[in-house]
Amino acid sequence: MIYMTDGSFEGILTAVFEAFRRKECPEKIASQEPCQLTLGTEIREIETDREKSDRVYKAIVEKMSREAIEILYRAYLSEHPDVGTKIYDYIKIGLKIGGRIIYYLQDPDVLWIHDRNQKVLKEVHLFLGILRFRKLRNGIYYARYEPDNNITTLISGHFEERLSNQPWIIHDAGRDIYALYNTNETVFLHEHIPIPKNEADKKFEVLWKGYFQSTAIENRLNPNLQRRFMPRRYWKNLIEKQNN
Amino acid sequence: MELLDKLQILADSAKYDVSCSSSGSSRSNKKGQLGNAAPAGICHSWADDGRCISLLKILFTNCCVYDCKYCVNRVTNDVPRAAFTPEELCEITVEFYRRNYIEGLFLSSAVIKSPDYTMELIITALKKLRQEYKFNGYIHVKSIPGADLRLVYQAGLLADRMSINIELPSLQGLKLLAPQKNAESIIKPMAFVKDQIQGANELTIYRKKQLFIPAGQTTQLIVGATQDSDLTILKLTSELYRRYQLKRVYYSAYVPVNDDSNLPSLNTSPPLLREHRIYQADWLLRFYGFEARELLDEGHANFDTKLDPKCDWALRNLGCFPVEINRAPMEMLMRVPGIGYQMAQRIVRARRVAALSYDDLKKMRVVLKRARYFITCKGVYYGGVNIDSEDLYPVLAAQEDPKNVYGQISMFEMGSFAK
Ligand code: SF4
Repeated sequence: MIYMTDGSFEGILTAVFEAFRRKECPEKIASQEPCQLTLGTEIREIETDREKSDRVYKAIVEKMSREAIEILYRAYLSEHPDVGTKIYDYIKIGLKIGGRIIYYLQDPDVLWIHDRNQKVLKEVHLFLGILRFRKLRNGIYYARYEPDNNITTLISGHFEERLSNQPWIIHDAGRDIYALYNTNETVFLHEHIPIPKNEADKKFEVLWKGYFQSTAIENRLNPNLQRRFMPRRYWKNLIEKQNN
Repeated sequence: MELLDKLQILADSAKYDVSCSSSGSSRSNKKGQLGNAAPAGICHSWADDGRCISLLKILFTNCCVYDCKYCVNRVTNDVPRAAFTPEELCEITVEFYRRNYIEGLFLSSAVIKSPDYTMELIITALKKLRQEYKFNGYIHVKSIPGADLRLVYQAGLLADRMSINIELPSLQGLKLLAPQKNAESIIKPMAFVKDQIQGANELTIYRKKQLFIPAGQTTQLIVGATQDSDLTILKLTSELYRRYQLKRVYYSAYVPVNDDSNLPSLNTSPPLLREHRIYQADWLLRFYGFEARELLDEGHANFDTKLDPKCDWALRNLGCFPVEINRAPMEMLMRVPGIGYQMAQRIVRARRVAALSYDDLKKMRVVLKRARYFITCKGVYYGGVNIDSEDLYPVLAAQEDPKNVYGQISMFEMGSFAK
């Protein structure tokens, strides 16, 4: 039996609710994206239901902890194809052992969720540093990035606080998710909006590149170490790593 | 001179100062103003030498009246000189910050005219930045040796962190290589700053919060410019933490920039491995409950290059091992070679849910390469060799991490300590 959801967090929690209510043990909780099916596998379509997902949400907070639900949510943002199923497994264990679940890393399912959570947190921390804004001619600061995980909602709060007196846009170009901040509040969008290219103010970008070169000590060059902290796949959107 | 040239000259002369971290402060944003200081440090980039770039690390000017032998900027060197105006400095800082290039400013300076004159210039720039540009981001300021304490105090009210660099780990070194500086001009402000920090904390209790370098003070020691042993350095370090409550001591492998008979020759490569070992030891002092005298003594005054300091300690204290993973207290687990703070915590928490077997540890991804020789799991020893130093030394020395590239200990790891 496979449960098919719309891929949202609420959808997954609804599926978990249904699994308990129907006393079924689905082998997978998948999202609607095509997945290879072996012949004869039964599929149940799960319709996302706020009330049902809320009940599961509350049960997790009460029987486990607030931290547990946060861990599950961040693991969910990894968008790993197995994440729905793993969340289900995690909840089953958590309902048995309670709040200690977050420390029960000798269990492979718990560890799996823990690892996803760590990866997401790590990427969030990295992007608080390596997100780069370009100042567009209309005065808006625009940051394009391509994170592995769906972290825009997790990083925007930091910039809301820090860059509170300038309008900015954070754009996850891979997913076409935008956080738009107008010096008052942040709005999230999930659709393509055109951003004028080649319109950025270059003066300080040139200065930054110059600084970046001069601050390295020539006798200590260490490209391996540099790549370990700042993997190459992220360089595309880093001003200082572009030659021209 | 073009702004870009100035920036490059003044970044180039500032880069040997190694303290890059921006952690430990929290300055919150006020409506309509720019910036805040995050309690856990954030790296914004990594330079080609693999070091984290967090702060705009820059000199106000590299014009110097002093003649410290180890320094590129000394008066007798023929190098291009430059100086910012306070406006230029503020503008670059703010514009970089708005684009999220940096976490804040690390401002230092060579000694132009006199220490007081230089310190006043720095204060003017910082005031402008805080008051006119409404900048609430992180500022680390380097105090100029010999400056009046009144000026040190003013700078402290504007900055998040202050460093007073010792540079040379012993008095002899200081006399030989920096004749115009004396120990007093370094130690006195350090003690003064410590008292001010305490004073500010006491005042806070019954008055509106007055910020005096909320992220504390730090210093830097140069490794390998003098003959000083690791023991001398580590003893000094632990005194500094104890007596002056420094937040951090930074170490900088000496990069030869000047030809001088009292210094290592120009073709000596910087002692990176030694710097790395000292950083590891410093870590053990601050977070792992070690004392300097446990790690080194007169008969053993320098770290083994083949073993990290914890392994080295463990081999000299095999009587403490093996420890039972299901019973050893956190402090002892942290003393097991190969088990760090995070893994020790993971173990302590997990064993409360269920007793751990060797297999469980593997599943939890505890790295057992070194640890296995020092632990038992449910009473069973998995090391496979005798627990004595003759058998263990070659095994452990051969394991020195080939990936190890001697960077500072990662910021991400640091972040979890800052909490
Ligand atoms: S005072 Fe500072 S800048 Fe001047 S020579 Fe000495 S170390 Fe260099």
